[in-house]
Amino acid sequence: MRVIAVALPSMLLAGPLAAADLPLIPSFTEETTTAGVDSIYSGDWEYMVGGGAAVFDCSGDGFPDLFLAGGEGKAGFWRNASARGGQLRFEKTESGLELDHVTGAYPLDIDSDGIMDLVLLRVGENLVMRGEGQCRFTPANSAWGFDGGDAWSTALAATWEKGNSWPTIAIGNYIDRTQDAFPWGSCTANWLHRPNVGGTGFAPPVALEPSYCALSMLFTDWNLSGTPSLRVSNDREYYKGGQEQMWKVLPGQPPVLYTKDEGWKYLRIWGMGIASADVTGDGYPDYFLASMADNKLQTLATPLKEGEPVPGFADVAFARGATAHRPYTGGDVRPSTAWHAQFEDVNNDGWPDLFVAKGNVSDMPDFARNDPNNLMLMDDQGKFHEVGDKAGVASMAVSRGGALADLNLDGLIDLVVVNRHSPAQIWRNTTIGAGHWLGLKPVQAGANPDAVGGWVEVRTGDRVQRRELTAGGGHASGVTGWWHAGLGPVDQAEVRVIWPDGVAGDWEQVAADTLYVIDRDKGAQEWTP
Amino acid sequence: MDPSRRDVLLAGLALQVAAFLPRSARAEAERPSPEEVMATWYRLVLELVRHTPTYSPPVASRAFAYLGISVYEALAQGKAPMVSLAGQLHSLKPVPAAVDPLAECDEAVLLHSVFADAVRIFFSNTGPTGQRAMKAMTDRLGAKVAAGLSPEVVERSAAQGRAVVDHIVAWSQDDGGAVIENMGFPLDYEPSRDPGHWRPTSTIAQQQAPLLPNWGTNRPFAMPSPTACTLPPPPAYSEEKGTEFYAEALEVYETVRNLTPEQTAIARFWSDDPMLSTTPPGHWNQIALEQLEIENAPARRRAEVMARLGITVADAFIACWQSKYEYDLVRPVTYIKKVIDKTWEPLLITPPFPEYPSGHSTQSGAAARVLTAIWGNNFAFTDTSHEDDGLPSRSYPSFWAAADEAGISRLYGGIHFRSAIDRGLEQGRCVGAFAVALKMGAQA
Repeated sequence: MRVIAVALPSMLLAGPLAAADLPLIPSFTEETTTAGVDSIYSGDWEYMVGGGAAVFDCSGDGFPDLFLAGGEGKAGFWRNASARGGQLRFEKTESGLELDHVTGAYPLDIDSDGIMDLVLLRVGENLVMRGEGQCRFTPANSAWGFDGGDAWSTALAATWEKGNSWPTIAIGNYIDRTQDAFPWGSCTANWLHRPNVGGTGFAPPVALEPSYCALSMLFTDWNLSGTPSLRVSNDREYYKGGQEQMWKVLPGQPPVLYTKDEGWKYLRIWGMGIASADVTGDGYPDYFLASMADNKLQTLATPLKEGEPVPGFADVAFARGATAHRPYTGGDVRPSTAWHAQFEDVNNDGWPDLFVAKGNVSDMPDFARNDPNNLMLMDDQGKFHEVGDKAGVASMAVSRGGALADLNLDGLIDLVVVNRHSPAQIWRNTTIGAGHWLGLKPVQAGANPDAVGGWVEVRTGDRVQRRELTAGGGHASGVTGWWHAGLGPVDQAEVRVIWPDGVAGDWEQVAADTLYVIDRDKGAQEWTP
Repeated sequence: MDPSRRDVLLAGLALQVAAFLPRSARAEAERPSPEEVMATWYRLVLELVRHTPTYSPPVASRAFAYLGISVYEALAQGKAPMVSLAGQLHSLKPVPAAVDPLAECDEAVLLHSVFADAVRIFFSNTGPTGQRAMKAMTDRLGAKVAAGLSPEVVERSAAQGRAVVDHIVAWSQDDGGAVIENMGFPLDYEPSRDPGHWRPTSTIAQQQAPLLPNWGTNRPFAMPSPTACTLPPPPAYSEEKGTEFYAEALEVYETVRNLTPEQTAIARFWSDDPMLSTTPPGHWNQIALEQLEIENAPARRRAEVMARLGITVADAFIACWQSKYEYDLVRPVTYIKKVIDKTWEPLLITPPFPEYPSGHSTQSGAAARVLTAIWGNNFAFTDTSHEDDGLPSRSYPSFWAAADEAGISRLYGGIHFRSAIDRGLEQGRCVGAFAVALKMGAQA
């Protein structure tokens, strides 16, 4: 079932972009040393990619907890001990997640028991870690029939295919790590873990071939068909004959790549991270693809052909000022290397902003060594403005994964970034004068309790913000919990959820600056810690 | 591909792979020959070029030239009938003589030493994986070539190799191409806004300035000067129907709109995009390396062929870039969108620098001139360069047939006008003659 109910703000339609006022520049205060988070993503060649963060609530107190990959060293878990609106405070807690060789992690309630589980990407065997409650986790590969394989895993995306009570998990794999002298062209197969037919747990994984060294994957309903496809962003450094990919994943059928004949456009980049948001306001998700010197912001190239979207995308990064191709501060003029990317409204003006983690791969002389992270604010004309230095997040550390989430539940999006060979950093958003906001958490009974694959819609006046509820993307990093929406000056809004099965909930009036659990059966319910 | 040639190639690759067998298996393998050392290192070099952003075609051509010269000069020391290139190439002085010319020197160790040093320096911009691969190659192949030799012979041979590379590196530093910043894209360059001049053709921010605008002033190798093979101007710019310029643009437009599968295959085969292939210079290196492997050529012949080819292709890029920035001509995509059809798109990605002449054509003409001098006018061959990328091999009755196809591929791809191709090939033929005239003497 397809549900499209989108008002199109005229200022965001195609055409020349008019000048706009600079959005409110947010203020971030680094609290790395006081927040209690002490983690380094370490390791040599096999850890030059990865370095993920997972943000999710496993304690049940509503505050997002934190897991950080450690690479060659041990990963760590930090329980959120922040007071609402206060400084960020985390307590390192034994969780069962203290494992080595972890490159990234994504939260996902795999068994739909209402307790968050975690998928760990590793150099070696991947692990599904079952949440036992109170932030304790145990390996569940055997119990759930999950074949963790033995690869250099670097990407994940998950969805619940129609009719299934267990998720489908796509895992992206990188180079054959035994080929150290001639690794080029040795990309190993990506895997699609589908549920056992009619039962619990997973069937043996299917190879998603051809595979081209994936560094990010995202199940996304790019055409609003109700069935997400799998976008895969691939690292051209290592593949031969490869390109960016999008798989049709239809229930009960083998995955099939979209083709040139269908409209898919050949693109070869150093694909490292996928972020999605409806940037253009046309209701369809747009995609930022992190790369090296050549980041892409993609919108549908031909929005509709005979009433249907065509699976081809046009790059509008240059036109919209979102190229982020070179350091904007610090004096290093060489091109940038982009990794984790994520859209969030960091100043609550109602427009999605874009954070990009940056950092040299490792002694690549063609690329900047002092490569500041980007924070690009989108204005009401759809143009992006770099403010990373002014906002206080222009770290020169060698960054990889990260996460943007409201860590102290004050309505302002905070930031955590994982760095290679140096401590992870954490910033509290301390913006004065930010707009109003909402924090929304859809829940439904039965399978897929967090409504992965659904949409949250927020209506203010004639404008509807749409947000796809995804599991995957970024760079080895995943966030779940409260989905954030900035409202600008508006102090109330209407919200509804398009549930993963396509059923649209009712529009409900809600007050700004409030957290709501949107229960499929009970509707929106205000939540306080 | 001809099965017999394929077999020979596979045999050669098997020998290369043997260098990376586990320690126990390697102990049983024979010490690699000088020819195997060369083939193995060139295989790595082609990967480094492909996977290192610095290596745009001009920059790659320079690195290939210095590598080829280093190898040739190391083998040519006092080895008549080989003749040193010192005094024949601009500013190149004789390489230092061996400390003891009569002492035993092992050619495989010598070559490994030359490659290990020259590749480390001339391909230094490669990233962590390339650095790791270079180290693995240096260590493992180094151990293998040294097996069974006395430490004195190994050190003497390696030292001789290092001395040659030091000499070539010192010579290379002031040629104008030693330092590449921002991958060759100037940070402050204002393209002309006059009609007919180059304008940026992509939305990649870095490419709003053209690639290496000063490359045409570099010191050539065998060519007397960057303007030794200068070209007449392209057809006069005009947006009027019926003019020669309009007609050439219309030809590109119509050709791309009506491409046959064969024309599309040709355009893709010669596309040779930087960072997605071994680049155009690397492609011609692959062609030559394949033929040398098939004929099981001795090391000295391999060294001469690769040096001559490297020299002429590097000169070709200097000559071509001199002309490109002299004329600063607009690309077809800019003209056609403005004058003929704003919705038109070329098949290939338009390279970020002026149009006239075609770099593919100039360097292919030079390469064909040199390789024809080596293998003859009607030397039929099959090019398997892109099989790893899923492109089928292509066969040619001669090197000139391949060069002509490389040239016209750019018109099929929608990125060059015909004059740039025809005159580029002429320019390449002119450039190639200088490398052919070098006295080297190892081929006999």
